[in-house]
Amino acid sequence: MREIGLTTTVPIEIIYAAGCIPLDLNNLFITSPDAEKLILEAERMGFPRNTCSWIKGIWGVVKERGIKEIVAVTQGDCSNTHALIEILQFQGVKVFPFAYPFDRSRELLYAQMEQMRRYFQVSWEDIKRKKEELDEIRALAHEIDRLCYEDNLVSGYEDHLYLVSTSDMKGDPQAFKREMEEFIKKAKTRKPFREDLRLGYVGVPPIFTDLYQKIEALGGRVVYNELQRQFSMPFRTDDIVEQYLLYTYPYSFFYRLEDIKREVKRREIHGLIHYVQSFCFRQMQDIILRKELKTPILTLEGDRPAPLDVRTELRLEAFMESLRAKRW
Amino acid sequence: MALYAGIDVGSRTTKALLLNDEGEIVSYHVLFTGADPKGASSRCLEECLRKIGKGMKDLEVIISTGYGRKLVSFATKDYTEITCHARGAGFYFPQLRMVIDIGGQDSKVIALEDGMVLDFVMNDKCAAGTGRFLEVMAQTLEMSLEELAQEASRAKHAVPITSMCTVFAESEVISLIAEGISRDRIVWGLHLAIAKRIASMVKRLPQGRPIVFTGGVAKNKGMVRALEEALGEKLLIPPDPQLVGALGAALLARDLKDEGNRLNHYRTD
Repeated sequence: MREIGLTTTVPIEIIYAAGCIPLDLNNLFITSPDAEKLILEAERMGFPRNTCSWIKGIWGVVKERGIKEIVAVTQGDCSNTHALIEILQFQGVKVFPFAYPFDRSRELLYAQMEQMRRYFQVSWEDIKRKKEELDEIRALAHEIDRLCYEDNLVSGYEDHLYLVSTSDMKGDPQAFKREMEEFIKKAKTRKPFREDLRLGYVGVPPIFTDLYQKIEALGGRVVYNELQRQFSMPFRTDDIVEQYLLYTYPYSFFYRLEDIKREVKRREIHGLIHYVQSFCFRQMQDIILRKELKTPILTLEGDRPAPLDVRTELRLEAFMESLRAKRW
Repeated sequence: MALYAGIDVGSRTTKALLLNDEGEIVSYHVLFTGADPKGASSRCLEECLRKIGKGMKDLEVIISTGYGRKLVSFATKDYTEITCHARGAGFYFPQLRMVIDIGGQDSKVIALEDGMVLDFVMNDKCAAGTGRFLEVMAQTLEMSLEELAQEASRAKHAVPITSMCTVFAESEVISLIAEGISRDRIVWGLHLAIAKRIASMVKRLPQGRPIVFTGGVAKNKGMVRALEEALGEKLLIPPDPQLVGALGAALLARDLKDEGNRLNHYRTD
């Protein structure tokens, strides 16, 4: 089957409707046992040390897995992707560029999706049918999310894993569906988690390998995974163009902020962890986040796929101590 | 007499401090941590007890803090340096709103409200702007830390230092020496460079006054002067700034006595 690598979330309905297998390259990179090696390989190729590790990891995983074709997001994600595409094209990878319009224009987004539809040679009818199938699966991920923040039966890490996997449905939607159904069944038999601090996680998924585990060991619980939840298309609509307009990640930070504020309140969050990737332009958005939210925020910066360093761990622990002192 | 111990296992020095039931400091001890933070913590506490003729059996609660806090196996509980410095500084200055702590391997600024930590920032993942930075520079300039501090407290002019990375700054200082720049100008430039860095950390937090300066580097009068110049205001310095973390830990130990967290056995291995 034709495998299509993705640099970030795109309308996978179109890819699946064409009978292709979408593979989120970020997920492949971060779950690789050789994630660090993939980065080193990219650096040996000439990728600068002061460039985002996700970009280098994506390049590494495309090479390692021999992926021949990708859909690359050229607007709404990261401008480093432009050079990444050029390098991959230079090395013979076929690239379909996809751009989310900055102004959330329905017309422009429709035009992009139409172009993508033609590229994959599918009809809007096929896409609609695929959307119905995938939405059912997404609903399971939303139920896992609810079990996390409402019933306290699912850990923050599990919530993160299932939500983040919705970007490509692990390349096999039906198997992913069965996996989630099994998981939900099991989770419902658990005793609720009792950690006293409810934390929210804002930002791109972490490159740290043990962040959730460390938070839990310190008696905290992540009950909100902001962008991972966005990858799961949390705003239900039958209109596929509308769905990708409601998706917050590729658009203005102010639009994301509305979603963050709403969820912080709904999920009764005591403190937020704002994760930023080293060398990423999104680090600057921390300025707005801190001014716009009253909830205490800890900003953590990660560079390579590794456990938390001692200093970051100290900051996390101190943040949780201060949240506890404020509560009692 | 029940005693409450705070042990601050820092990267450069380990500090132990004892409080009695009335909250008075009855003993303290400081030693170099070296390569054995676990051993240093028990030796430091034993010495602290020995000074007042007491033993481990007299300790009610022990709280550890500092980078080696998890290694103190005989501690009742551990807290981060952020919490302990905030608590310790509040002992001397209850009205404080901000703490600048410069230790051996890190520097931090803590904003407080009603004695509680509101927010904090720490230096980057290197020794820039810390006690270790000053130690390396003192070695390069062939001075003791005391001489360095003294020179900084009376220097009139500074040469700008652009590198804050310890390794690059060392090369920069060597180049300045080779250019014939006087030692006092280099020393004052180094202190001002650190102070500017700390001042930018202060600006990132909710602004409250007064500011208390703690940690081993607060003993350096030149650094106090540089920080006051960079911030444009006077700083409050506790009597023994190096002990503030251990004091905070001991105060938290005393708080715990009411929570039934008393020790029932002691182990120093």
